[in-house]
Amino acid sequence: MKRNWQHPAEPRTGKRYWRSTAELEQRSEFLNKVGIEFPGGDTLNEEERENSRREFLKVMGAATGLMGLGLASCRRPVFNILPYTDHVEWVIPGKPLLYATAMPRPGGVTPLVVTTYEGRPTHVQGNTLHPFGGGIDSFAQASVLDLYDPERSKKPLAQSEESDWERANVILKKVVAEAKKEQGKGLAIVVGDSTSPTLHRLLGEIRKAYPQTSLYTYEALSHAGGKTVHSALVGPKLKPVVRLGRAKRILTLDCDFLGLEPVAGDHIKEFSKHRSKDAPGGEMNRLYSLENRYTVTGGMADHRKPLAASLIPVAAAVIAAELGEASAQALAKEAPGSLRDWLKPAIKDLKENSGSSLVLAGSRYGKEVHALVAAINHALGAFGSTIEWVAAGQEAETQSFQALQTAVAAGQVKTLVSLTPSDLLFDLPNAGDFGKAIRDKKVAFIHLGHNVNLSARKAALHLPSAHYLEAWGDALAADGTYSIVQPMIQPLYDGVSEIELLLALLGQKALGPVTVAEGEEATKTDAAYDAVRATFGAVVGGMKENVWNVSLRDGFVKGSAGQATSVAFNVGALSGMLADVKAAPVPSASALEVVLVPSSHAWDGRYIANAWLQEAPDPVTKLTWDNAAWLGSKTFRDLKLKEGQMITVTVNGSELTLPAIEAPGHVTNSISIPVGYGQKELGFVGSDSDGKGRGFDAYPLRKSDSFVLTGATVTVTEEIYPFAITQEQNTMEGRAVYREATLTDFNKPDYTSQTGMDSHIPENISFYKGQVGRKSEKNPSGFDYEKEHQWGMTIDLSKCIGCTACIVACQSENNIPVVGKDQVRKGRVMQWIRMDRYFAMSKWGENDAPSDDVHIDPTPEQLENAEMVMQPLACQQCESAPCETVCPVNATVHTEDGLNAMAYNRCIGTRYCANNCPYTARRFNWFDYNKRPLDELYWGPLSTPEKTGVRESMKLQKNPNVTVRMRGVIEKCTYCVQRLEAAKIQQKQKQRDSKDFRIPTDTVKVACQQACAMEAIEFGDLADEKSNLNKLKASPRNYEVLKYIGTRPRTSYLVRLRNPNPEMPGAENIAAWSAKQI
Amino acid sequence: MGNFFPRWTNWFPLKLAIALAFIGAGVSVGIAYYFTPKYTRVGYEPTQPVPFSHKLHAGELGMDCRYCHSFVEVSGHANVPTNQTCFNCHGPGKGNIKSASPKLEKVLTAHETGEPIPWVKLHKSPDYAYFNHSVHINRGVSCASCHGKINEMEVVYHDQPLSMGWCLDCHRNPENNLRPLDQITNLNYKPSDLDRAGFYKDLLANGVPVKEVAEVISGKPLDFEPKGVDDLLALAERKYGKQVSQLEVGTQLKQHWQIQPPESCAACHR
Repeated sequence: MKRNWQHPAEPRTGKRYWRSTAELEQRSEFLNKVGIEFPGGDTLNEEERENSRREFLKVMGAATGLMGLGLASCRRPVFNILPYTDHVEWVIPGKPLLYATAMPRPGGVTPLVVTTYEGRPTHVQGNTLHPFGGGIDSFAQASVLDLYDPERSKKPLAQSEESDWERANVILKKVVAEAKKEQGKGLAIVVGDSTSPTLHRLLGEIRKAYPQTSLYTYEALSHAGGKTVHSALVGPKLKPVVRLGRAKRILTLDCDFLGLEPVAGDHIKEFSKHRSKDAPGGEMNRLYSLENRYTVTGGMADHRKPLAASLIPVAAAVIAAELGEASAQALAKEAPGSLRDWLKPAIKDLKENSGSSLVLAGSRYGKEVHALVAAINHALGAFGSTIEWVAAGQEAETQSFQALQTAVAAGQVKTLVSLTPSDLLFDLPNAGDFGKAIRDKKVAFIHLGHNVNLSARKAALHLPSAHYLEAWGDALAADGTYSIVQPMIQPLYDGVSEIELLLALLGQKALGPVTVAEGEEATKTDAAYDAVRATFGAVVGGMKENVWNVSLRDGFVKGSAGQATSVAFNVGALSGMLADVKAAPVPSASALEVVLVPSSHAWDGRYIANAWLQEAPDPVTKLTWDNAAWLGSKTFRDLKLKEGQMITVTVNGSELTLPAIEAPGHVTNSISIPVGYGQKELGFVGSDSDGKGRGFDAYPLRKSDSFVLTGATVTVTEEIYPFAITQEQNTMEGRAVYREATLTDFNKPDYTSQTGMDSHIPENISFYKGQVGRKSEKNPSGFDYEKEHQWGMTIDLSKCIGCTACIVACQSENNIPVVGKDQVRKGRVMQWIRMDRYFAMSKWGENDAPSDDVHIDPTPEQLENAEMVMQPLACQQCESAPCETVCPVNATVHTEDGLNAMAYNRCIGTRYCANNCPYTARRFNWFDYNKRPLDELYWGPLSTPEKTGVRESMKLQKNPNVTVRMRGVIEKCTYCVQRLEAAKIQQKQKQRDSKDFRIPTDTVKVACQQACAMEAIEFGDLADEKSNLNKLKASPRNYEVLKYIGTRPRTSYLVRLRNPNPEMPGAENIAAWSAKQI
Repeated sequence: MGNFFPRWTNWFPLKLAIALAFIGAGVSVGIAYYFTPKYTRVGYEPTQPVPFSHKLHAGELGMDCRYCHSFVEVSGHANVPTNQTCFNCHGPGKGNIKSASPKLEKVLTAHETGEPIPWVKLHKSPDYAYFNHSVHINRGVSCASCHGKINEMEVVYHDQPLSMGWCLDCHRNPENNLRPLDQITNLNYKPSDLDRAGFYKDLLANGVPVKEVAEVISGKPLDFEPKGVDDLLALAERKYGKQVSQLEVGTQLKQHWQIQPPESCAACHR
């Protein structure tokens, strides 16, 4: 049968989805890349071409030499089996052991379950038993790599010279003696925003032992504003717990609560539960968002308005005034008319849902904004319903870092001990002056940290810290649930934890490796372990071994949460703070605003050395390995900038030159700069091989604790900076593969027949006569649903926020290599999941005129108001897979259970399959990424001797059940086949002589599904009628990407539903349905 | 001008072709024989650091394989035992059997220093092949099917090729190797030793209908209702003769335990 291969023409009218403005406007820089599976793949660059002859001779010479070696070693290699000499409790060689633990985070904790193989932690996942457990973010997901980071701090440093633990202990003993003598006078301790009860108990003990010790809290990105307001409102003994699950209407004032600024409260899966529907009728929650740049929260919002950060206080004032807060009236008057119009119906909606509505403000705003928001939430009846108050843990009283700066400048501090995970001398406002004060006043600076960062190098004594998987600890979840941080492995480099350092300061522990004198029995007690157990005893009321064991197993103490209490509000305290509210000047082209935002790669800078995070594309800009200045389209175009062109931003007398990037959805006259980049001498991942640093350090721009800077000017330079952006790589060539609808449309009875072209495509014509569909009398060669599992997946676009946690989880589970910035630029990124981010506009062109013209000239305003949607895309596991028909060596074939399998050892690297994949889901190993350092790839086996081969520690992270791929083979998503096979084998162990082969319903989970905090991914057995997957596949929202080409993918998507408020301006454009949408 | 080429050259091309054909055939046969696991692996018998005799322990003393390889039923690896397992019998203060024997010297040293004994790996599957012991052991494949009669080996040697083709032979026709679960670690098992009545009684006790068993024996639908074990015995004797055969056992187990070994790449390569 002849088949029409012509792709249906893309509709030129109506809504359009695009990845970059270059694609939208069909500019040459996009058109040159489209349709090329491996951009920059086969070609050598200028320098390489020049050297290639010399290289060739060199390689041939080496090859001849190696041949001699090869012949000599033509003998069976001898491998050894090294059994344990003594049994290790619970360990069964070859089987993973899972333990519960928790990752301490600023202001909270991420409950985890860690997979270990013979004592090596290899992969983390959320602990679903924990009341705040669920999917985790990419930072937690990637944290296991930090443990094995070959560039992490390994030895104590004294004045940046390598030292040893003996000397470190001598110095610490001196500090202790001094503190005893002086009653702690001159001793200052800085901690992060830790919720660890043991840490706070020990701080209390230090206070008791050395009463004049001063304690400070410092986090580069703090929640100080909100905390001040809350303690004024209800007192310091209570803290708020945001119940996202109960909120029907949420308005965020630049609070990225789904992404980089999580709020203390419900896990975001509670939010996502009300984000989609699979049967008509009923309600969804609604999210309004005001922000200056796109965040993943803004992308999820039903209504979003780009608004300069300087105007956020005004927006808060408008809402407060509308709700009857008299003191906000004056400020509210300054609001622009468009903002008022936008807010009016939103406020009405919030009011109508009083008691189930919620307003959140970003952590970068001061106490004035948070006071306004507190007044708003009070008026909306949020307190007690969507915001509960629970007893805060007993925390030691600390002062702010401003007080520390004053104390150091005044010479009151003699010894400064820093436990904060932030990098004091790098990210403090006026860090340079602070560093100078420390030097001038001869402060003995003792620093504990994971990286040899700036503070570590400047410190009198730097101690390598233990990773959280290496040391005992504890932390409190949002509602005060006591969670235990259980170590998985002995410290790899003898690092010490915060608790251990405090114990050392109390004179109760010597740091460093445990030395056992000859003939002496090693004592089994660990001081930190005892300290945590003592705290635990206090929490549960007396040490009970069985409760301890159960809590260790679960990762937390059941019933230790604080009870929600009704409280009296000191509303009067708010009006005092409201008096301070002043309107910031509206940013203009001559006085722009600069907003310093957390980085999706490095957060505040602490994760800079994590290669997985560096390479996971930023959700919004798709930039890897760098930061940049994000500019709104109007500003970007008015300045006549090109992508990556260097600009100099001057604000408050500080200058920063950095490359610019056009960010649709970004407000005009505003610049957002992610912080944490520009750190020097951190090794290849953190600072590039020349040690000069990756990206650009934006911290020096600020002179106070504010992250919103006004009055900035920009000058343009000629230089173009090379970016590694993945947004135009592996495109779907403009095919509209994304679908969305409004709740109202979905509730209409004829919804399914209206959507897309699925209803009128011809019957599937297979690429080859093989297995397609379910085996039946009519289809005898189909897949056997009776005797095999049949795997499938759905991804709910209503829930996906595009946070990239799944990408990192996949990398961790499947031994996917990192390729480095240079290779990403060439389109060789290896991540199996591609997070496609599309911008969308339902109206475009001058006067909103729909046009059939290929060239689209959007107005800057339209670009500013573009919608943003996310679509994760990996191998779709087509039943009728185009890749399989073209493989000359049968390296990619189908399995009985419907997987498109990949046999790496058979692949010869023709790349035909990748070129034939309509979803561009296949990746090729251009180099031995797993064998060589990334800056020596081109040298092959001739790389410098000390650099050849991957570091030993990195091998420890690898999942032993997945082949580490070599150069020259294709790889792609396998649906975590190792997990599926393990589950089937486990079932067969139980099955033995019965017929009961089917694994229990929904017990096998794939890595991306486990990682997804929004629970957007469902995986399961199509042949099991009870599985969740089958329920979702039956949903009217279910659709297959490019269904009309007849590939029969096993992965399908659920149409994104949005819930616009019809009274809002522009509501008709939201999720507008294009008649010709494919 | 005389003949430039001598007469013998007339036949030269043909001779050359024949010679090359023979050489080619010889090389092919040589490679097919000498370069495949059947030759390169089978018979490999490295000297182990400790002269442990499987013949003595598993053969003469009749110890079960799983006493030492204790996790073979639950894990992919058949673990090599720890020193503590050896010391259960040989350990000073425990069984104390031959604890002074010089053969045990390295075990004693390992116990003192904590350094493991470097056993030489014999059965090595490539890194990209993921073999799992537990799934075979629990589903009717004996140790002996792959490792041979370990109970007769003084020093263990490679008994079977363990090549991919060899694996697939069994995955395609598992009935040639299946045996009842209680015979898995019986290295001397022969199907003919089985009591036919007992075998069928066990199957029926497991809930398999008589008719299904009977149909597997006859290989075609039956036109009468078999009543019980006696009918089955009669049928089996007619088909397989007096003694129980491997095929008889294998086909029954394959059918009633739903043995369907995967033949796709992903079963072993991930």
